[in-house]
Amino acid sequence: MQGNWQGGGHIKAPQDLAAGVFLIALALFALWAGSNLNPGTMRAMGPGMLPRAIAVLVGLCGIALIVGSLKWDGPPIERIPWRGPFFIALGIVSFGLTIRGFRIPLPGGIGLTTPALGLIGSGPLAIFIAGFASPETRWRELAIFTAVMTTFCFLLFKVALNLPIPLAPWLVGY
Amino acid sequence: MTDFLGNLALGFSVAFSFNTLFLCLIGCLVGTLVGVLPGVGPIATIAMLLPLTFKFDPVGALIMLAGIYYGAQYGGSTTAILVNIPGEATAVVTTLDGHQMARKGRAGAALGIAAIGSFIAGTFATLLIAALGAPLSGLALKFGPAEYFSLMVMGLVFATVLARGSILKAVAMILVGLLLSTVGQDLETGAERLTFGWQEISDGVDFAVLAMGVFGFAEVMRNLENPEARDVVRGAIGSLLPNREEFRRSIAPIARGTLIGSILGILPGNGALLGPFASYTVEKKLAKDPSIFGKGAIEGVAGPESANNAGAQTSFIPLLTLGIPPNAVMALMVGAMTIHGIIPGPQVMTKSPNLFWGMVASMWIGNLMLLIINLPLVGLWVKLLKVPYRLMFPAIMIFCCIGIYSINNNPVEVMLTAFFGLVGYGFYKMGFEPAPLLLGFVLGKLMEENLRRAMIISRGDMLTFVERPLSAALLAVAAILIIIALMPAMNKKRDVVFTE
Repeated sequence: MQGNWQGGGHIKAPQDLAAGVFLIALALFALWAGSNLNPGTMRAMGPGMLPRAIAVLVGLCGIALIVGSLKWDGPPIERIPWRGPFFIALGIVSFGLTIRGFRIPLPGGIGLTTPALGLIGSGPLAIFIAGFASPETRWRELAIFTAVMTTFCFLLFKVALNLPIPLAPWLVGY
Repeated sequence: MTDFLGNLALGFSVAFSFNTLFLCLIGCLVGTLVGVLPGVGPIATIAMLLPLTFKFDPVGALIMLAGIYYGAQYGGSTTAILVNIPGEATAVVTTLDGHQMARKGRAGAALGIAAIGSFIAGTFATLLIAALGAPLSGLALKFGPAEYFSLMVMGLVFATVLARGSILKAVAMILVGLLLSTVGQDLETGAERLTFGWQEISDGVDFAVLAMGVFGFAEVMRNLENPEARDVVRGAIGSLLPNREEFRRSIAPIARGTLIGSILGILPGNGALLGPFASYTVEKKLAKDPSIFGKGAIEGVAGPESANNAGAQTSFIPLLTLGIPPNAVMALMVGAMTIHGIIPGPQVMTKSPNLFWGMVASMWIGNLMLLIINLPLVGLWVKLLKVPYRLMFPAIMIFCCIGIYSINNNPVEVMLTAFFGLVGYGFYKMGFEPAPLLLGFVLGKLMEENLRRAMIISRGDMLTFVERPLSAALLAVAAILIIIALMPAMNKKRDVVFTE
C-alpha cells in the first residue's frame, strides 16, 4: 500500500516499534499522573500501589516490543487516512456539545456556551458532519435519510421509551 | 434433582408471563435487526440497545438484554452466511462453509441449520446452567479474596492465550485495561487517582463509554477506510428447512459442537471464542472426505454454529455464579446489571432467585424465539443487508450517541466516547486487539479489591496465593497455560487455528 512505512536501518517491525513507544509514553504519563498517590505497603496497600505497579509493567511491555521490533520482521505502519476518524469524532462531539447545550470553559474564566438543539437538531447536525467522513456520501440521499432517522429516533426514544433526552428545547421547551 | 426441577419451574413461571415473553421477543427482534448489519458485532449491538432496557424492572431488562444478545449472535451468523462478513471473531468460521453454501443456492438451508443447531445447543446449555448454577455458587461462597484474585489471573491468562496475534500485545492490552480501571476514586481511601481533578471521571471511566468507543466508533472509522465491497448473495435463498440428507449429516456435528462449545464457554477468559474453531477442526478431522470443507459442507456450519451458541450461553455461568465476566460481552452485561442495581455474583442466586432462574429460563425461550422469528423474517434481513454502508454508518453513529447520552444523561460522556473511538482506532493501527483491554478493564477493579483484601488478611505475605490450595491450583493452571502457549510448536498451531 502506498505511504506505508516499511522501516529502515535496524528497524524490522515498524508497527511494533510504534506500539512500544506508545506503551512507554503511556506508562510514563501514568507514573507522572500518579506520582502524588501514596503507594502504601504490601500489608496495607495505598491508592498509588497498583497504578504504579501496572504502569511499570506496561512500560516493560513497551520495551519488550521495541527490542522485538529490532530483531524480528513485522508489519509496516499503515497509512492513516485522517478524513474518516476526524469527521466521525467531530460528529460525535458536536452531538455531545449541542444535545442540551454545553459550557466550554476557556482560560481566563470566560466560557463558550453552545446552543441546546435537542434530539431533532443535534441528530441531523451529527449525521451531516459524519457525512464528510466518507467519500461515498450522496448528500440528497443523506438528507432524506436524516429526516427518516430523526423521525424514527423521536418515535423510538421519546414516544415509545420516553427517555429523558432533550427533544427540541428551542421549539417545544424540553 | 427436585431442586433442579423446582428451580427451572420457578424460572419458567417468571419467564412465561406475558410481559417477559414480550420483552424477550422485542429483545431478540431488535438484537437480530442490529446484529445483521455488517460490521456491527454483538458488543456494539448491546451497547447501542442498552438504553432500550432502562424503562423496565431489572428482571425484564435483563431478560430483554439476554434476548438482544442471542439476537445479535444470530444476526451475526446471518451476515456471515449471506454476505461473507463476520461480525465478530467467532463468526469467521461460519463464513467458510456458510457463504459457500449460500453461493450454491443453499443459503436457506445454511441459515436453517444454524438456527436449529443453535436452538439444540441453547437447550443443552440452558440445562447445563441450571444444573451447574447451584453447585458453582456454593463453591463461590468458599472463595476468599485470594481465590478470587487467582481465578481472575487465570481468566486473564486464558484471554491472552486466546487472543489473536501477538501474545505480548495481548498482555499489554490487558495491562492498559487494568491501568484504566484504576482511574477514579480509590475505593478504600477515597483518593482521586489519575483524574486530574476532573469531575466526570472521578467515578472511573464508564464501561459503556469505553466499550462503545473502542468497539463501536473505532469499528466505524475502520470500516470507512475500506471501499465498500459487499457480496450479498443474489438470487434465491432457497427453502429454510434443510433436506433429509443435510439433516442426517448435521446431527452428529451439532451434538459434538454443543458439547465442545458448552465446555469451552464455562472457562473464564473467553473460552467461548475457541468453540467454533475447535468444532470446525474436529469436524474436518472426523470427516470421511475433508476436502469438502470450505466448499459448502453443512457440517462446517452446523458444528461451529452450535458450538458458538452453546458457548455464548454457558459463558453466563462464570458471570452468574462467580460474578466474573469471562469476555467482553459478559463485561457489558455486568455494566447493564449494575445500572439496574444488581451486582452479579453468587449472591444473585440466593437473594433474587426469580431473577436468576427467570433469566435462565428466558435463555431457552430466547433461543426458541430466534428459531420462530428468524425463519419467516429472513427475507427482511436480506433487504437490510443491502443498505449501503454510507447510510449505515451515520445511523450507527447516531444510535450510539443517543445510547451513551442516555446512560447518565451526560453530554461529556458522549465526547469521551469520541476520544476512546480515536484511541481504539489508534490501537488498531498499532496492531492491538481491543477485547483483552476491555476484559482487563472490567476485572481490574475486582482484582484490586480482592488483592488488597487478601494482602490485609495475610499481612502483606504474597505467599498466601500459593499456600491456599484452591488458589494455588488456579494459579498452577494459569502457569501451565502460559508455558504451553509459549512453546514454539503450540505457537504455530495457534496461528493455524486463527488463520484457517
